Amino acid sequence: MKPLQLLDESSAEILALGWLVKAVAPVSPYGERCFEELRAFRPGEEAAAQSRADLIAEVAQSFDAGVLDAIARALASAPDAAGAIARASLGEHLSDASFFELRAFCETVDRIDELSAGQSTLEKLSNEAVRALRDSLATGQQGQSAFYLANAFDTELAAARTRLARAQAELDALRGLERERAAHELGRDELGGDEFIVMRAELRGTLPEGIRIVREAPTYFLCTLDYGETGLAALERRDAAAAAVADAEECVRQTLSAFVQRNARGLLDVANAVGQRDIVVAAARFAQRYACHPASVSDEPVVAFEQARFLPLESELASVGRQFTPLDLELDDAAVLTGPNMGGKSVCLLTCGFVALCAAFGLPVPAARARIALFDQIGWLGLGREAHVGGLLSSFAQEVLILKEILLRNAGRLLILVDEFARTTTPHEGKALCVALLARLRERHACAILATHLEGLAAAAGVRHFAVRGLRGIPEPSPTNDVREVLAALAASMDYEVAEVSGEDSGRGDAIALAALLGIDGGFVESAYRALTQ
Amino acid sequence: MSPVRVGLEILELARSIGARTIFVVGTARDVGKTTTLRAVYEAACSAGTRTGLASVGRDAPQQTRARAKPRLWLRPQTVFATARALLPSSPAVEILQLSSLQSAAGALLYARVEACGFYDLAGPPTASGVREVVDELLACSEIAIVDGAVDRVAALAGSEGAIVVATGAATATTEDEAVAEIAALVTRLRIPAFEPQAQAVHVDGALTAADAAAFIAHGETRQIVVRDPTQVAMSGRSAQEAFAKLTIRCRRPLRVVAATVASIGLERNFEPVRFANAVARATKLPTFDVYRSAQAA
Repeated sequence: MKPLQLLDESSAEILALGWLVKAVAPVSPYGERCFEELRAFRPGEEAAAQSRADLIAEVAQSFDAGVLDAIARALASAPDAAGAIARASLGEHLSDASFFELRAFCETVDRIDELSAGQSTLEKLSNEAVRALRDSLATGQQGQSAFYLANAFDTELAAARTRLARAQAELDALRGLERERAAHELGRDELGGDEFIVMRAELRGTLPEGIRIVREAPTYFLCTLDYGETGLAALERRDAAAAAVADAEECVRQTLSAFVQRNARGLLDVANAVGQRDIVVAAARFAQRYACHPASVSDEPVVAFEQARFLPLESELASVGRQFTPLDLELDDAAVLTGPNMGGKSVCLLTCGFVALCAAFGLPVPAARARIALFDQIGWLGLGREAHVGGLLSSFAQEVLILKEILLRNAGRLLILVDEFARTTTPHEGKALCVALLARLRERHACAILATHLEGLAAAAGVRHFAVRGLRGIPEPSPTNDVREVLAALAASMDYEVAEVSGEDSGRGDAIALAALLGIDGGFVESAYRALTQ
Repeated sequence: MSPVRVGLEILELARSIGARTIFVVGTARDVGKTTTLRAVYEAACSAGTRTGLASVGRDAPQQTRARAKPRLWLRPQTVFATARALLPSSPAVEILQLSSLQSAAGALLYARVEACGFYDLAGPPTASGVREVVDELLACSEIAIVDGAVDRVAALAGSEGAIVVATGAATATTEDEAVAEIAALVTRLRIPAFEPQAQAVHVDGALTAADAAAFIAHGETRQIVVRDPTQVAMSGRSAQEAFAKLTIRCRRPLRVVAATVASIGLERNFEPVRFANAVARATKLPTFDVYRSAQAA
């Protein structure tokens, strides 16, 4: 999957594009080739994106998970025949291993069609070229899956092999007689291998005729038995018969290769269709596994969803027995998001980006319902990018440069996710910069959500204000100070839901409560609360 | 004794311990590994045993033709692993399976011989790959014979496989050195299984000369347990000292059943009878001379 201009490298990493790519990756070489070419849909391609997501969702819904797994297994075990088809189309004579691949390819196509039978969602993959190739290679089928250039391919091949077998038997018999004679003259039962040792002490007289010394040592000779005149003649007849078999075999290969060449176009079409099918099946399995649904792909700038999840985090939480709180949001302009530390502001931003990313690639999204636009650019600004820049610039300077880059690119339709922009400068100026940023984004008709701890920003910028609900109560600090226990207590007390609010949530003091929960001493916490009320 | 007789003796030794896999390893190149494999293979064929063949090791395509492994004359119904690129176009073979494993010469496949001919064997470079190849061969053969490499015998550790160690004049400049070398290798390969009841120090990874020296210095009397004999990364004098002063054991033992000797080397020859007898005495293994087709006394 190619994000091309949709995401810069850091945004792609933050929004877990790599995770998504892995989750929807196809399993066959045919699928991998198509997958490499897959690009994000752009504004104006809403119908195509919608159609793809709908198809995947329909497959996910109409196919049993076991059937999709079986199709995936068939695809995964299919050898790559595309190279063989391409070589044959250029006039090359294929090898037997290539015919094995081609036969396995036809079998895979049949198997997938068989597994998909009875479902109207997916068209049959097989075509006339595949059927004809399968029939032409059937002669070579041995057992369940093996391939052999069998005699039945050509009568001349069968005859040549018979002649070779006869010539080989004649040679073996003559050679056997020669070896027997030499062994007898040496006073042995048998001669030995191709090269054998004759101990000088055991030699009576001279070496028998035909035995040639390869090397002499003080106590022995290393010998070999040369062919006699009749043996040599038999060897020549055998070699000539073997050459005739080689010619006959090559002739069959030529015929089969020419057949593949004639049908190359149809075969390549099916190979490509198998690749596309692999991609759809992989995406449908993803949709089944993560309960994804097709978003309504909008031509208006909007990111709206109900019960959406950021799947990488959901998986991580599931692995430690915790649950992700699904989020609802409707974003059609610039907005501000506030909430306590560890309340899930960043996760809300990540969920927005991830859902938009899924929709951009024509995938069902991890939400119960969603209405999502296609964007020219999805950008991430603020927290999370630090590790991706570095150098001599301060974190504020880095943020400003990234912002400049985003604004200069002037993407037609922009989704920008801003996590605590300008948090490292003075709150007064930071707020001013955020107000200016929101104003610019509104001018650009961008979808944007800016997570911040700065008070009064939404009102100052005149944008909608969303907030994480936050702590329901103050949980008791863990007596053991174990961080895992603290996190569990915090999760139990935190309401991660995001809702639109009208006023400012000042004075909640969740940050101080969090510090207490994390084990900061009581005096310190009390002092902080006093300061808050002054 | 004929070469087939030598092969049958080795086959019998393997069968006596219930082995379906025979791994032929050598102390060096040109010590008669392939000749040994051929003897065992011919014996298996003469006994009507369906046989699978493979070759592993580090032989890379860059080796010169003169040093390349000889092709083997294989008989119908033999199943073998080879690299796709090494398969001759004629005589045609039955292609059984394409493997995802790679050899030095490229992707592997499994084939069955339909007509007698010369074929190259190949195999993967890793122990896990070797296990996979052996399993595939055994799925369609009664016995698998592998032209192996000492550093790949880990694939046989803890299995029912048998090992035959080949040595020859190519391995050392003198007979005594060659005998000492194979004796050390056999000692290493025949490390006994550890006693679960007795006290033990389990070594994670290789047991190096430095580790052994430290154990000896501390007067360690417990069993020193490695995963399998290939994890003893010592040779020569270090190995001799370590085996003499420590109780080295392993979790997955190997089963060495025979030794073969090739008294002919490219650069020197050893006296065949004396050499074979010396190897037999030093290794306490049934020892066969594959060129003389004889068993050592």
